[in-house]
Amino acid sequence: MVAQAVEVVQYRSLIYNLVTKDLKVRYKNSVLGFVWSLLNPLLMTLVFTVVFTQLLGQTIEHFPVFVMTGLLAWNWTAASVSAGTKSLIENSSLINKVYFPRSILPASIVFANMAHYLLAFPVIFLFMGIERMRFTPWLLYIPIIWTVQAIFLVGLTLLLAAMYVYFRDTIVLVEVGLTAWFFLTPIFYRVEDVAPDYEQMMYWLNPMASVIAELHTILYYGGVPDPLFMARTLIQSLLLVGLGVLLFNRVSPHLGEHL
Amino acid sequence: MARNNYAIEFQDVSRRFTLHHERRSSFQDWFIGLFKTRGEAEEFWALRNVTFGIRQGETFGLVGRNGAGKSTLLKLVTRILQPTEGSVKVNGRTYAMLELGAGFHPELSGRDNIFLNGSLYGFSRKDMQRKYEEIVEFAELQRFVDMPVKHFSSGMFARLGFGIAVNMDPSILVIDEVLAVGDSAFQQKCFRALDNLKARGTTILFVSHDADVVRDFCDRAALLVDGQLTDIGAADDVVDHYQQMLQTGEQPFRLLRIRALDEYRIMTQQIAGGQEQHIEVLIRVPAGRNTSGLMLQIDLDRIGGTTLWSTSVALPAELPLPEHAIRRDEDDAPDTRMARLKIDRLPVRAGQLRLVGSLHDPSGQLIDRTESLVDILPTDHAQTGLLALDHSWEWNDPTEPAPVESPEGADIVRR
Repeated sequence: MVAQAVEVVQYRSLIYNLVTKDLKVRYKNSVLGFVWSLLNPLLMTLVFTVVFTQLLGQTIEHFPVFVMTGLLAWNWTAASVSAGTKSLIENSSLINKVYFPRSILPASIVFANMAHYLLAFPVIFLFMGIERMRFTPWLLYIPIIWTVQAIFLVGLTLLLAAMYVYFRDTIVLVEVGLTAWFFLTPIFYRVEDVAPDYEQMMYWLNPMASVIAELHTILYYGGVPDPLFMARTLIQSLLLVGLGVLLFNRVSPHLGEHL
Repeated sequence: MARNNYAIEFQDVSRRFTLHHERRSSFQDWFIGLFKTRGEAEEFWALRNVTFGIRQGETFGLVGRNGAGKSTLLKLVTRILQPTEGSVKVNGRTYAMLELGAGFHPELSGRDNIFLNGSLYGFSRKDMQRKYEEIVEFAELQRFVDMPVKHFSSGMFARLGFGIAVNMDPSILVIDEVLAVGDSAFQQKCFRALDNLKARGTTILFVSHDADVVRDFCDRAALLVDGQLTDIGAADDVVDHYQQMLQTGEQPFRLLRIRALDEYRIMTQQIAGGQEQHIEVLIRVPAGRNTSGLMLQIDLDRIGGTTLWSTSVALPAELPLPEHAIRRDEDDAPDTRMARLKIDRLPVRAGQLRLVGSLHDPSGQLIDRTESLVDILPTDHAQTGLLALDHSWEWNDPTEPAPVESPEGADIVRR
């Protein structure tokens, strides 16, 4: 596993190039392309705000900031999981022609979507400014949350990408699973409003709930984060990475014949 | 011959593929499989017991029909596949061109693709910045390098792919049948570039259906037949063998090769004098025939023509298969058979020998003849002359076993 990590580090320029490739293709090499890519979260925020505040009478204040915070983090997860799962199959021609550490394929998808997330992140500050909300020094804590989410996603995509090689309907389950996961994550609602009894269980079982709750604490409530909260999520994520690497290593030597 | 001189070394390598007629490839299949028995799986050996080495700096060709296992072998060299049995050792940084433009992304510019492709092979950005100009110049793409490669013509694509391959300075370059593209001027340029790499000591492993290219370009070559290494040796000889194999119709018996083997049973043109030696003869036996009644004669000649030694033997009906061609089933047996001669002590000290094999029918009529040259390397410098004889001086107590080794013997004389 150490040798493997060293090899991935040697191939760091491949990770860099795959991430920039993804961004260049997504933004079509222009600033306007980037602005265009923000339309989706902005429109989604608009839809949620209209539906929940106007139609359902939701009473969360500054609702656009609340939704936007969760939605951007969620979009990173959803895009990474669905593209990461497919990353080995979709690059089968490459895998059959060149040797490189295969784990770079799902990992670079997580990093590309992370870059996209980080580029879009200032939009939250813009919304906070419009709503005249408070900026606290605890904003500096946010990179820790990003790191934890990145580790979690790398573990998850390694696991799913390996599974997809052997079970070609994994992607069907992943798409259904993502929809369920979206509703079970406090993105457009507060856990304490909806299911206060299940609050602790939700944070234990769903790392995304913890990640988004902590972002809400800092950005939306202007409060102080609890380090133990992220530490627990970090340990869960590292365990998932361990499991992902284990499964991925069993699959990757045989990729050349299965794809 | 030092073993660590090998750039690529295959040790008894086999590669099996399992063809599932009803493969469970989804959760749905597994669910259905709970209630239904599984279909037969069929095994297929793409390579079987392949042992050979490619020396550093050598240009090595690989020939064989489609499906003979050439691509599988290249994928083992490039670590895309793992061997089922045996070991594959590769010493040095490898760049493989298994397909033109593998790893190019159509939406990216030529420039971005050069960097992406380099990093796929583990080259850093700094490496690539150094090589970038050379690559663009070689590919003659200065005007188009910022254009997305999806707009490239196939010729431009080929030039870019080849430009990257020859400018990466790998210590091992693997090329699979990709020279057939581009105009002839560019092909010439590619061969010049490959010649340059050769001169700089790059090991090149080369697969081509074009026998003449292998003949001209490669030092040595190997012939794969149905996943087995049927022949290995000088490129000319192996290509001859391959071309004979491709001809259809009734084939007579032929002597394909006579070769000395080194201590690792690998064919060599240099052997050490005064030691145990093996000489191997490969005989092509036409389908449905056997070798009973045929006479095989082996001569060791001086270059001038003097026959130093000659022996002849009546062949048995069934000769063994060459070492690396283990038979799979009766119908599928390769037509190449092997006769191997062991000489306990070749009493030749130094010089060049001609190995001559000749095959005669029962009436003594010559059927075929083949020969090769072998250099005898002197090992015992206390002797001169043509022969290396076991000898000792008998001035010690004759009941004591006399020292045989000459260097110690020289000390005794001085004392």
